[in-house]
Amino acid sequence: MSSPVIEFDGAVKAFGKKRIGPVQFSVEKGEIFGFLGPNGSGKTTCIRMLLGLARPSAGKVRLRGLDPLSDHIGALTGVGYSPELPNIQSFMTPREVLALSAREIGLNSGVGAEIDRVLEEVGIIQYGDSKVSRLSKGMVQRLSVAQALIGSPQTLVLDEPMIGLDPAGTAHLREAFIAYARGGGTILMSSHMMSEVEGMCSSVGLIHGGKLLFRGTPREMVRDMLDSGEVRVEAKGMSAAVVESIRKVEGVLAVEEVPGGLTVRVARGVEARPEISKVIIQGGGELLTIREGERMLEKAYIEALKDGTDQAQ
Amino acid sequence: MVAFIILLDTVPYYILSTSGTTLIPQQVYPYLWVAVVIAPFPLFMQFVAIMIAAGAMSEEYESGTAELLLAKPVGRGEFFAGKFLGGYVLLGLLILLNALMSVVAASLTFGAQSGLGTIPGVVLVEVYSSALFFSVAFMLGELVRRSSLAYILSSALIVASQIIGTYLSIAYELTGNGFYESIHVYLPTTVAGSLPPQYEQSLLPSAAGRLFELILGPTMGIPSEASAAVMVGLYLATATAVSFAYFRWADVSRRVS
Repeated sequence: MSSPVIEFDGAVKAFGKKRIGPVQFSVEKGEIFGFLGPNGSGKTTCIRMLLGLARPSAGKVRLRGLDPLSDHIGALTGVGYSPELPNIQSFMTPREVLALSAREIGLNSGVGAEIDRVLEEVGIIQYGDSKVSRLSKGMVQRLSVAQALIGSPQTLVLDEPMIGLDPAGTAHLREAFIAYARGGGTILMSSHMMSEVEGMCSSVGLIHGGKLLFRGTPREMVRDMLDSGEVRVEAKGMSAAVVESIRKVEGVLAVEEVPGGLTVRVARGVEARPEISKVIIQGGGELLTIREGERMLEKAYIEALKDGTDQAQ
Repeated sequence: MVAFIILLDTVPYYILSTSGTTLIPQQVYPYLWVAVVIAPFPLFMQFVAIMIAAGAMSEEYESGTAELLLAKPVGRGEFFAGKFLGGYVLLGLLILLNALMSVVAASLTFGAQSGLGTIPGVVLVEVYSSALFFSVAFMLGELVRRSSLAYILSSALIVASQIIGTYLSIAYELTGNGFYESIHVYLPTTVAGSLPPQYEQSLLPSAAGRLFELILGPTMGIPSEASAAVMVGLYLATATAVSFAYFRWADVSRRVS
């Protein structure tokens, strides 16, 4: 089995009395890992340790199997990074910024074509020759991602890559990241946008108060952190008797009537959708959709933070 | 900075040539280019050095470009050397500009100039001497990582050294105590400012000597050329070693938002 692309092995960073860690997790090749946590929880500090920008006070961090401090060039080769605040010179054009980035990573041939490729990928090719100072915040954010993508790195480290983007920009980058991971690339991204993480990440890690509270898939996080699940039903012609029957389905904890249908709370780990569907159809109702509740990862995240705070106290 | 140097190199010659002063003997006219090469060096060019060096590293931290660049496969040594040498080369070019502009302005206002063959030497000596305040300001920029604070501290060092030097001169004049003179020798402004005039004076004919008296005034507690060169080297080596050690050890500062 190949070694993980990213590995935190008991990494600790102390800032006086404040302490981040020990953090223990790894990210395998091809994963899109969502690094979650509230502001000040230690996400950016972990990212900075990973990139060799901050020295761990204890433990180890490895990037591509190498120590990013002692073997900085080896560890960072083939790694693209987009910081939380896009540190881009505003007097340059995106093409100039990317040409500089290409030079910094030692890319000498086919630079023009590579710049066009990444500008296309992040959806700002039409702004390639405008001054960065004239671009919107979202465009600058996309440019920051573009400079991380230059040179086709095998690993992307993205600190809040979706921040400041409009829905179209968010969707564009989401597709780009998914395509990138399908091509074998590995992504570690921190984010506060749970809906994006839920729809894009194959795994997540939740850090709070410097401690890693959870590592697993988004589905596992929802299952582990919430006492109950949620099912959204959209249906027409449901009688009171049908609703009552749904209440009696095994694992159903509560049923709430909402415009256009029902919200059904079910016991943790129970798959009640087939039985609920059956009850609606047999009761003469017209089932339009039945799916898991929305924003479940967000709910799990909030619940996990409550538990994490309780643990800390 | 370039505009200021051009003004500094032209206005004094224009004023001197149009004011009809008798202060300058005619025999030193062919060496007047030396005046504005040497005169601003002890103070003005040191400020130019710290203006370049104090922000060389700290502005990279403040703007976040250090973070972005050092998250790439770029060695820290390479980054450090690039920032140091880049700034130092710029300073060297400004010193060269200062010398060339002085020659042009002096030639246009006081006629043909002599001793121009010494220009490369004096420029190199000035570049070397300016390494003292350049490296100290570079070190302060790296240690405090805020450009404004680094400028203030570096400027304070120049001003304090200059003021202490003045007090030591007065104390020496009043008491004749050699102790004050011996301290004066080691002050950074004394060390950095004494080497180029001594070097240039040794190369020009005695007719130009009066010019040095006019420019520099009475001098006391000045190290020999060799001592000054060694002391510049010591300041340079110490400041560079401290800043590099700190740069290697410390985390890369985050952008100031």
